[in-house]
Amino acid sequence: MTNRLLALILVFAPFSLTSFGGGQAIIASIDHQAVEVHHWLTHQEFTDLFALSRAAPGPSTLIAALIGWQVDGFWGALVATVAIFLPSSILFVALTRLWIRYEGSRLSSAITRGLAPVTVGLVFAGALAVIQSAHMSLLQIAITMIAAALLYFTSVGPFVLIGGVIAFYSALLVLDTKLLL
Amino acid sequence: MEESPSCPSLSEIFWAFLRIGLTAFGGSTQAWAYRYVVEQRHWLSDRQFVAGFGVAQVLPGSNPLNTALYVGLQLRGGLGALVAAGAMVLPAFCVILLMGYAYRRFGGAPTAHVILGGVAAVGTGATLSVGAKLARRLSIALWQWLIAGATFLAIGILRWPLIPVVLLAVPLSIVLSYRFEPRS
Repeated sequence: MTNRLLALILVFAPFSLTSFGGGQAIIASIDHQAVEVHHWLTHQEFTDLFALSRAAPGPSTLIAALIGWQVDGFWGALVATVAIFLPSSILFVALTRLWIRYEGSRLSSAITRGLAPVTVGLVFAGALAVIQSAHMSLLQIAITMIAAALLYFTSVGPFVLIGGVIAFYSALLVLDTKLLL
Repeated sequence: MEESPSCPSLSEIFWAFLRIGLTAFGGSTQAWAYRYVVEQRHWLSDRQFVAGFGVAQVLPGSNPLNTALYVGLQLRGGLGALVAAGAMVLPAFCVILLMGYAYRRFGGAPTAHVILGGVAAVGTGATLSVGAKLARRLSIALWQWLIAGATFLAIGILRWPLIPVVLLAVPLSIVLSYRFEPRS
């Protein structure tokens, strides 16, 4: 194992276990480590990669893959991804197994019921955070609301909605309207 | 188990999460997972899913990944968790490397960026719709609404740090559930 791969593991594995509440919690610390401590990339590059990781599907923590690629190509990307995902996953599976084993006990069902309202609060807070941090345009907010209503009231699937939006945006781009600004 | 869930095969779990992983734009993994796993396939009950969703948020680790691990674990144990998580991460890993390549090769690509902004908005809409569904299906106790509202206010509006809020809200909510066990 090269020193660079080892450095990636030493940076990302501890973040894996401290990312309470998800990836947002550790982004600033990753920025600090990658830019100021290890000089793997500049602040501007980090900001660009962060935007990419938000635009891509899947967990935004995959920014680790992009940084890993910058450091050591494909193997860097793979090692960084495993380092950011594996430790928290092992912990999660171990704790959740324990909880599932006691499913049906009074305490376990109290945990199940007790988590529900906190989850609902966090879901809405998360959606609000995305709307604010993405500096959504009026068009994007309209799409968010229309998608929410369609998904709430109908059984439309993800591919139809995503395909529809891509077609709509492409049409706007071809027509060169000002709506997209 | 409160409902008897049908038991999907590992390959069904694989295809489900491959599909979820590829459509999870704008932080919407859990929303699409809910739609597919609970609403379309009935693999898990509402209550099982929302509890797993909560644990996925509270424990360290990426929320989408933890959600996949939870669903896989409930359906097929450790192997199910491995398959679900792998099927979700793998396509996302490939897509983000391709996007990284395109970014270095062609620069910012403003057109693609604008379109992806629209796609992300769909994801946010999916998250809102699931939040509304989960809220509707909360049992109607007042204290549950108060906890949901207070959590939203503290994290979403007041921007308080997540860990202390969760460390306060989760035990409080569990104690209240334990105390006010619904008559069955």
